[in-house]
Amino acid sequence: MADLRTEEMELNMGPQHPSTHGVLRIVLKLDGEIVLDAEPHIGYLHRCFEKHAENLTYPEIIPFTDRLDYIAAMNNNLGFCVTVEKLMQLEIPERAEYLRVLVAELNRIASHLLAFGTYGMDMGAFTPFLYAFREREHILDFFEAICGARLTYNYVRIGGVARDVTDESLKLVEKFLEDFEPHVHEYNDLLSYNRIFLKRTVGVGILSPEAAISYGVTGPNLRASGVHWDLRKDEPYSVYDRFEFDVPKANTEIGEIGDCWNRYMIRMYEMIESVRILRQVLNQIPDGPTMAKMRAAIRPPKGEVYMRTETPRGELGFYILSDGKNKPVRVKGRSPCFTAMSAFREISRGLMIADITAVIGSLDIVLGEIDR
Amino acid sequence: MRAYFRNIYAAVSTILIGMRITFKEMFHPSVTNQYPYQYYFEKRKNVRGIHKGFRGQLYIRMEDCIGCKKCAMICPVDCIYIETSRLEKGITLSDTRAVVRLKDQTVWIGELLEGDEKIEPGTVVKLRDLDGNLHESPSEHVEHVVTSKKRRLKLDRFDIDMSLCMFCGLCTEVCSTSCLYMTQTHEFSTYDRASLLFHFADPSIYEGLTPDETETKAEDGADASEGRKQKAARRRQREETA
Repeated sequence: MADLRTEEMELNMGPQHPSTHGVLRIVLKLDGEIVLDAEPHIGYLHRCFEKHAENLTYPEIIPFTDRLDYIAAMNNNLGFCVTVEKLMQLEIPERAEYLRVLVAELNRIASHLLAFGTYGMDMGAFTPFLYAFREREHILDFFEAICGARLTYNYVRIGGVARDVTDESLKLVEKFLEDFEPHVHEYNDLLSYNRIFLKRTVGVGILSPEAAISYGVTGPNLRASGVHWDLRKDEPYSVYDRFEFDVPKANTEIGEIGDCWNRYMIRMYEMIESVRILRQVLNQIPDGPTMAKMRAAIRPPKGEVYMRTETPRGELGFYILSDGKNKPVRVKGRSPCFTAMSAFREISRGLMIADITAVIGSLDIVLGEIDR
Repeated sequence: MRAYFRNIYAAVSTILIGMRITFKEMFHPSVTNQYPYQYYFEKRKNVRGIHKGFRGQLYIRMEDCIGCKKCAMICPVDCIYIETSRLEKGITLSDTRAVVRLKDQTVWIGELLEGDEKIEPGTVVKLRDLDGNLHESPSEHVEHVVTSKKRRLKLDRFDIDMSLCMFCGLCTEVCSTSCLYMTQTHEFSTYDRASLLFHFADPSIYEGLTPDETETKAEDGADASEGRKQKAARRRQREETA
């Protein structure tokens, strides 16, 4: 009886599926309800970012980086600008550096809130989504006040930031931080420790630390696998070395190392750490200019550069090859979601169909960045 | 058996914890906005207005445009089309107006009395607007100052294709007279894509202009000579100051 095998079945999941978080197609090979193999097909959102960047001047590329990871556009702006500045060896004014950390951390909270909300929705809980969006709205409101856009900010520029922030706007952030921390505990009560939610995520889709490192998985997904690695701490850029914060560890009391619940929970811990950083930013922010003194036309010297930053989804790297003109010869983006997606196949083998949505949601992918 | 019931108890109790949080919301005011029928700017509890610096539809004050084409150059998607030609000899157009933008995105347009494009810390920026009101601000609060400039080109075409625009705002930042700006309008969807190509240039404003008219605004010969005198006097004055 044990030798009896049922016929394998192929099933298309996506590209238009509510839990694939964008246009992602997964070809599932099934034995009954057990997933034998899951092959992701990407590229539905390909917009030629890298080729396009070769025909644009450096300031013109920044709005396009907004559209890579559109949920955390500030972090993408920052990643690209820091790379160009490293090539140009530019000195950035203090206030601009602090403002960059401020918007990057706020955007990290906004991004994790969306991850939390949609993950609840994937797992069948609709209410947390509305709570997450209520708080996210305050952050988007602040971004609208300082840069005029709610999603594609184009705020961080080469040499500083686009606009200065008024004290009234900073008070908005202060007020938000006061309200926000108790809300995170509310989310934990609402979803994180809910028995049904735990049953669906604990011990499901385990990514071992060895596999995570060999696939190049970064960010919260890597930390959930028990690897203590955060670029803000280990390779500080901007002024991150001045702030006190912890890199959260996987919780082994309730979950298992590298399972879906830990991948989800790391993001909740990170939001609290971001609040800690933001409080220090608000205390330390100096007065002064927000843009470095430099020529209007940005022409980095001949050479190549690679720089990586920690976005909410992991390590975002940009490689730029310059020939001394106002346009780059080659731009390459190293996407954190792409590596997370490549580990997906390994994670999902042997799971049930219903767990596939749990795995995709916990990896927190953004297809705009995978396809570029 | 015991584990079975404990499991049920855990499931029910954690749901009840969640329900307690949602139950509290019953006593909070509603934040829902019935959008097309109820607008964001209607004063209501929990509904905020739109922010001053919002990047919406592009608009240009044509009377201040000098035709430098900087906006068309920097546009990443090339959605601004400009064609210029030289003015006929002797025709002068009015100078552009100065613009001061504060850090809270308040904009003043008019005549600059104090201050310069290069904002020195510790100074004051003063401006008289078109209605004659005086505005003053310490330079710490000023984000951007644009002084009055000469208009030497005739704008035959100034089109913006809003169907291509990606609302990055780069064009408004490079504008040498700050006449291109983004309004708070964001509801301009149409059924026809062609209607999103906005034409701003108005060639008819150049039609009535002849060299004499623009200089002196006079019809008969006496007034014309008066105009010439004025012109000479003005030239002398300019030489003296220089």
